Amino acid sequence: MAGKSRAAKFVFLLPALLWVLGFVLYPLINSFSLSFFRYTLGRGREAFIGVQNYIDIFNSPEFWFTLKITIYYVLITVTAETLLGLFLAWMVNKRIQFQNFFRTVYTLPIFTTTVAVGYLGVTIFHETGGLANWVMGWFGLDIQWLSSATGAFASSVILDIWRWTPFAFIILLAGLQGVSKSRYEAAMLDTNSSFQIFRYVELPAIRFSLLLVVMLRMVRAFKVFGLPFSLTGGGPGRSTVFYTLYVYRTSMKYFDFGHGAAMAYVLLIIVMIVIFQLFRLLRESFAAE
Amino acid sequence: MFKFMSKPKKAMVYTVLVLATVWMLIPFLWTLENAFKPSIKLFEPGAAIPFLQYQPTLEHWNFALFHQSVIKGLINSIVVSLGTTGIVLIIGTMAGYALARYRFSYVKNKDLTIFFLSQRVLPPVVVLIPFFIILMRINLVDTRLGLILVNVTFNLPFGILIMRSIFNEIPVAIEESAFVDGANDYQVFWRIALPLAKNGLLATALIVFAFSWNEALFALTLTGAKAQTLPVMILSARSTRGVRFGFAAVNTILAIGPPIILTIFLQSNLARGLTFGALKE
Repeated sequence: MAGKSRAAKFVFLLPALLWVLGFVLYPLINSFSLSFFRYTLGRGREAFIGVQNYIDIFNSPEFWFTLKITIYYVLITVTAETLLGLFLAWMVNKRIQFQNFFRTVYTLPIFTTTVAVGYLGVTIFHETGGLANWVMGWFGLDIQWLSSATGAFASSVILDIWRWTPFAFIILLAGLQGVSKSRYEAAMLDTNSSFQIFRYVELPAIRFSLLLVVMLRMVRAFKVFGLPFSLTGGGPGRSTVFYTLYVYRTSMKYFDFGHGAAMAYVLLIIVMIVIFQLFRLLRESFAAE
Repeated sequence: MFKFMSKPKKAMVYTVLVLATVWMLIPFLWTLENAFKPSIKLFEPGAAIPFLQYQPTLEHWNFALFHQSVIKGLINSIVVSLGTTGIVLIIGTMAGYALARYRFSYVKNKDLTIFFLSQRVLPPVVVLIPFFIILMRINLVDTRLGLILVNVTFNLPFGILIMRSIFNEIPVAIEESAFVDGANDYQVFWRIALPLAKNGLLATALIVFAFSWNEALFALTLTGAKAQTLPVMILSARSTRGVRFGFAAVNTILAIGPPIILTIFLQSNLARGLTFGALKE
């Protein structure tokens, strides 16, 4: 292109590049180096202690507990949200009336403020005056939602599913709508069963969208914070202290920056391992299309 | 599916669809009801029909809206979200345009894109402490500007990627003919490319706005009484006031209202926006 100048492309790109380098890379390096120091607010960088912070973390039962419940949380919510989202997308993609209405309703929770959803959950799962136990009452049940460890975990999961299924739904619906008519028509010559069509036409066609949903949701679920925190405050006891809250408390309540930074790095490494695996699958399925 | 369904099958499909509708709407209805229900009736979920079973009231609204921290939180949230959106749009659109329209040779376009994409994977908590220390040093703790800096950082990669894919979809021919007519790079970007990307810009703006509106971890860490946003206000109300159904409901409405309105506007661009355009590469 004749008119393009070499300078212009750097003028366009540099502000963003410098911003990211300054505000992401520098803090990342800074935080990595902090994790090798004994460092508390007020007393500053006291001493270089090598990997001692990491050793402390791996020796702490609290760390293993937090990691365990966070992984449970990720696995349960991501599985449930992907399957439910897929099921709803499949239904809405059928020839139905009021398609737009259902689509809009199923995406409504997508941008609700997570902290507000958690606070709302406090009233829904309130044990004497809440909606959940009122409904449970019809079946003669009275569940200890927020005062028992299992109940608090379950209510967090339920709200998370409510909040994020729409995300899976909207992306998978877009994927299903992208399946070409000719593929359907070809399949219909062979079979009448909508399950068969789902299994052999639709599912392979949306493989890429499915993997994308799982990947994006997993990344988010690992760093979950606002929703369970405002719902349970981490309690009862420590039963719903998920990973980000654990780091937040160590860093900002006890001002133990060294341990906090090391914990954060452990999370980063776990997330990166998971993402690399998923990313490989994603690239393969992208190449296959 | 392009087939007509049999009657019983149809009934089953609609039953499921309606059940899912109820599931999605119930929390909203519950909030609305609690926001207008008199305090004495609040602990009776069964009393659900206004005027018949309870007399709607504005007491919770009066209480919340005359509450200093609520108004302050609302204003802070609006300023921070708008400020973030503005900066992300300016810087992000420029970079997205650069990646879509120019060829970088030293570090290739693809590598730059992957570099920005990799930022999305980063758990924000990893940079929590450095940000706290930096903002303390430059005296921006508990200011809206400080929070805007943080939010721009987390939303910029998204803005760049989505704008890149939007420019990629716009045919390049119009811009080329403008170059032939003697326009320079900046005129082409400003007068030709930007107007063509209008819808994409709007979608990006709305999503970035909703993301910043939602942010809680950094807002909680980096703000105190002065610059606290709505989510921080809600978190502190939760721990100091305990469970006040009416207060919770009003705040929920204030906090979810703006993003919900945006969602309804966004419908058509939503899927693409949320996947950073990855679906239509």
